[in-house]
Amino acid sequence: MNALVRILSLPACYLSRLPGCGPLVRACSTSVGQKILMAITGLSLCGFLVAHLAGNLKLFAGEQDFNQYAAMLHSLGPALAAAETGLFVVFVAHLGLALSTTAMSRAARTQAYEVMESKQGVFALPQGGASGWMLVTGAVVLVFLVCHLIDLRLKVNPFVDYRPAVAAGAAGSAGGHVNEFLAVRQVLTSSPSRYIYLLGLVALGIHLAHGVQSALQTLGISHRRWNPLFRLISLLFAWGIAVGFISLIAWAHAVNR
Amino acid sequence: MSGELLNLTLRVWRQAGPAASGGFRDYQLRGVSTHMSFLEMLDVLNEQLHQAGEEPVAFDHDCREGLCGSCSLMINGQAHGPERGTTTCQLHMRRFRDGDTIVIEPWRATAFPVLRDLVVDRSAFDRIIQSGGYVSVNTGNAPDGNAIPVPGHLQELAMDAAACIGCGACVAACKNASAMLFVSAKVSQLAILPQGRPERNARVVRMVAQMDQEGFGSCTNTSECEAACPAEISVSNIARLNREYLRASMTAEF
Repeated sequence: MNALVRILSLPACYLSRLPGCGPLVRACSTSVGQKILMAITGLSLCGFLVAHLAGNLKLFAGEQDFNQYAAMLHSLGPALAAAETGLFVVFVAHLGLALSTTAMSRAARTQAYEVMESKQGVFALPQGGASGWMLVTGAVVLVFLVCHLIDLRLKVNPFVDYRPAVAAGAAGSAGGHVNEFLAVRQVLTSSPSRYIYLLGLVALGIHLAHGVQSALQTLGISHRRWNPLFRLISLLFAWGIAVGFISLIAWAHAVNR
Repeated sequence: MSGELLNLTLRVWRQAGPAASGGFRDYQLRGVSTHMSFLEMLDVLNEQLHQAGEEPVAFDHDCREGLCGSCSLMINGQAHGPERGTTTCQLHMRRFRDGDTIVIEPWRATAFPVLRDLVVDRSAFDRIIQSGGYVSVNTGNAPDGNAIPVPGHLQELAMDAAACIGCGACVAACKNASAMLFVSAKVSQLAILPQGRPERNARVVRMVAQMDQEGFGSCTNTSECEAACPAEISVSNIARLNREYLRASMTAEF
């Protein structure tokens, strides 16, 4: 893991040599700075999730609306490529920071306790609830994301039958593009994918359930009066996103009967 | 006041020195009064060991009033034992039942190396304080206490943070062995007050740097520290530390 952390910290090393960037990189490289960056990147990715879910809910509106939305995204061209690159950078940064801070924490206790028990009351979950599962759920989401990109970005999953979507795309007015609506439906109803998606989305829900409220605390957004509300909104957001995406799997399953 | 008498099995971490490898030893202790404090119970154990010609168990203690922060001990996996808002010295044996097995371990953190048995070296905390946990004042006559007015609620807030006794339970209970609760209390108690404001930026940056250098872990906002803290320091101090750090790195001149 340490080797991986070193590789992922290379961009920061090069960035610190740019004029004026040294102090910024130094401020961001402490444990607190890294956590602040994790919060910012995490919340940015949440922003992407909102946009992605909003777009995909067009599946409910029907084939024409969804394909129009897809065509609009494709027509953005270089802007879309730039957004994708930005998203990739933010994602890799979030992942790298997660490994770096975890490595820091692992090194901080090399000898485990014989017995370790929480003092957070009877409702305390194993491993301190969702906060103890961030690395695991994050890894599951990463696997899900890779599968998702193979399925619908590259469209090369051998377990998915893309022929209806390609045929409809060639016949339709989309200028030879694949019919995205049918492609999504094929993927969401194909066998390994839908289970991977379901697992990935539950993991995402758990990840966000701690991640969002933790990000607010890390950014210093905390108030005795408002904290219960922040916590509620974070939980509603987390499971709203997860259930929103899961509803698409349920929808695909329903229309395919 | 006779009270119940307990027969206990103690599983205690024994380690001859910093470099020695340690291990658990089981001891039987009979007739422990429920009115004893946990440390008095250990005193009885040590007397028993001394009479048997064995080396007594080394553990940290000083005031035995819950004020000094000397006593530590991980008791059945909980820092300072099962009672909330209580130090080990204020924990009483009435919290345990006859026939219980009690596992007693030292704080476990790379930054707190074990010196002997249950005693750890907590001077990492002292070095964090030395790096910035103070205000610079001229010596001489004591200043007029009311010269700088401070609103009552801010006095309370600063006092809540200043309740930290620096025992290290937050580090011990944290799954990451992070010292964020300690450092945030020490940053907050000064950042809230006017006397601490001039040095606030330099203070937070230096203290965070020292905390990292000592080898503490990073904060995952699990809040286990708050539950384990005998002085009941709130994690809202950690949010304040984060705000102070953001502010200092973005705006500070120091």
